Amino acid sequence: MGALYLVSLLLGITCMLLLDHRFRLFFWRDAKAAAIVTAVGVIFLLAWDLAGIGLGIFLRGEGTIATGLLLAPELPIEEPVFLIFLVLCTMVLYTGARRLLDRIPATRSEKQRERENV
Amino acid sequence: MTYLWLALAFIAAAAIAGALFARHGVRRGEAGKHWKAVGLAFTALAVLTAVFDSVMIGMELFHYDASHILGVKIGLAPIEDFAYPLAGVVALPGLWMWLTGKREGSGSRSSSSTLKGLVPQALLASRPVSWINTAYPFAAAMLLTTREIDWVLVVGTFYFLIPYNLAMYGINDVFDYESDLKNPRKGGIEGALLQPHLHRPMLWLAAITNVPFLVVLAFAGGPALWMSLAVSAFAVVAYSVAGLRFKERPVLDSLTSSTHFVSPAVVGLALAGASVTPGLLILLAAFFLWGMAAHAFGAVQDIEPDRQAGIGSIATVIGARRTVRLAVGLWLVAGLAMLATPWPGPLAAIIAIPYIVNCAPYWNVTDTTAARTNVAWRRFIWLNYGSGFLVTLIFILQWSFTS
Repeated sequence: MGALYLVSLLLGITCMLLLDHRFRLFFWRDAKAAAIVTAVGVIFLLAWDLAGIGLGIFLRGEGTIATGLLLAPELPIEEPVFLIFLVLCTMVLYTGARRLLDRIPATRSEKQRERENV
Repeated sequence: MTYLWLALAFIAAAAIAGALFARHGVRRGEAGKHWKAVGLAFTALAVLTAVFDSVMIGMELFHYDASHILGVKIGLAPIEDFAYPLAGVVALPGLWMWLTGKREGSGSRSSSSTLKGLVPQALLASRPVSWINTAYPFAAAMLLTTREIDWVLVVGTFYFLIPYNLAMYGINDVFDYESDLKNPRKGGIEGALLQPHLHRPMLWLAAITNVPFLVVLAFAGGPALWMSLAVSAFAVVAYSVAGLRFKERPVLDSLTSSTHFVSPAVVGLALAGASVTPGLLILLAAFFLWGMAAHAFGAVQDIEPDRQAGIGSIATVIGARRTVRLAVGLWLVAGLAMLATPWPGPLAAIIAIPYIVNCAPYWNVTDTTAARTNVAWRRFIWLNYGSGFLVTLIFILQWSFTS
């Protein structure tokens, strides 16, 4: 029974939360809204997974790095953890990108102002 | 082609939702910035997907029915897999902007600051010094039956160590606020006063930290396990929640409190699929009587504050003296019952003695001097650690006998 995949996912989630904490992006900016976004995202993607499993498209592998524990046929215990990671990663990237975009025009106009003052 | 149609359906749903959220949530003039950030985030996600999806498929974590996919791949990742991050990044940032924008607009921005201190408060409220009292019965019962450490044991032990206590004491402190206010004993080692604005978040925290564990554990067993988990969770809630308030119903209060400590052991046994033997039942009964005695004696010190707050308990109803005598009697019966269990069980009968010795001096206590029993109750917390030590030694002995 391998736990490598699950542990990697949990580490990934930890790293996302560390970024979130450091830059106050998501949970550390509005915990309630972040919790809702995460729940909605995970449920939506999980529904997608189940639809894919139902249609016979997605098949679980026999990888040795997975625990092999199943929540439902073809749905390993790692899947919801992966989806949480995906949502966190998406939101950290988006909120981070917003932060960067907010900064660019500010610095540009500051520079312009400096030039005008000279 | 099936996967493509499935992906397009979900992307369409996500895109419509994303557009609606963005229209209502993103302030005018910021829409450009919003979609630019979405684009940047998707670019990064696409690169990550190409790399890690390939790795995951390479590691044989999952695969696809070849007849259902287009066959176009980036690395090992089928092109349809990029639909997941695309759908997420199109819809979720819009939802986020909508939720946070609404919050900031209505001026309740302070909600995050009022939540400050919730987690430390919750941990303090959950009596960390007593965490082991619920985790130990679970872990011991399960480990002694299965004789191996698997993920269920680890998850269950963690659950009964922290989330379970968070719920038990968190719910209790929310609904006990009134009487705790009048009780100087609360706020330190024996529990914390919980500010009213944290009451609702505390109940949410209890639910969020407990329900996933209960669901995961329920997956690991059958009806016997579901029953024991249900009884355990019900006892946690029913003890203090408004409307049920089992803690204010004499006798039922001690029964429920004891269930808090015995039910983790029963859950452990159910998870391990233990066979029901007379010895096991006697052991559980003795443990249950011990728990009832502990609760009843603990209630004696609170007679005054409880009465002032109009709260009933076994002690306020039958009085301090009779409660102490009842507790001593229950410990005695628990000790004697252990003598009837298979070897080395009878050794555990000794454990009853320190409890009886600790509480016997209050044999003639009155309702007015009841608060003094707090001295014995404080010793009691540490006495439990000593008992745990002895119980562990007996378990090790039992382990070596049966291996």
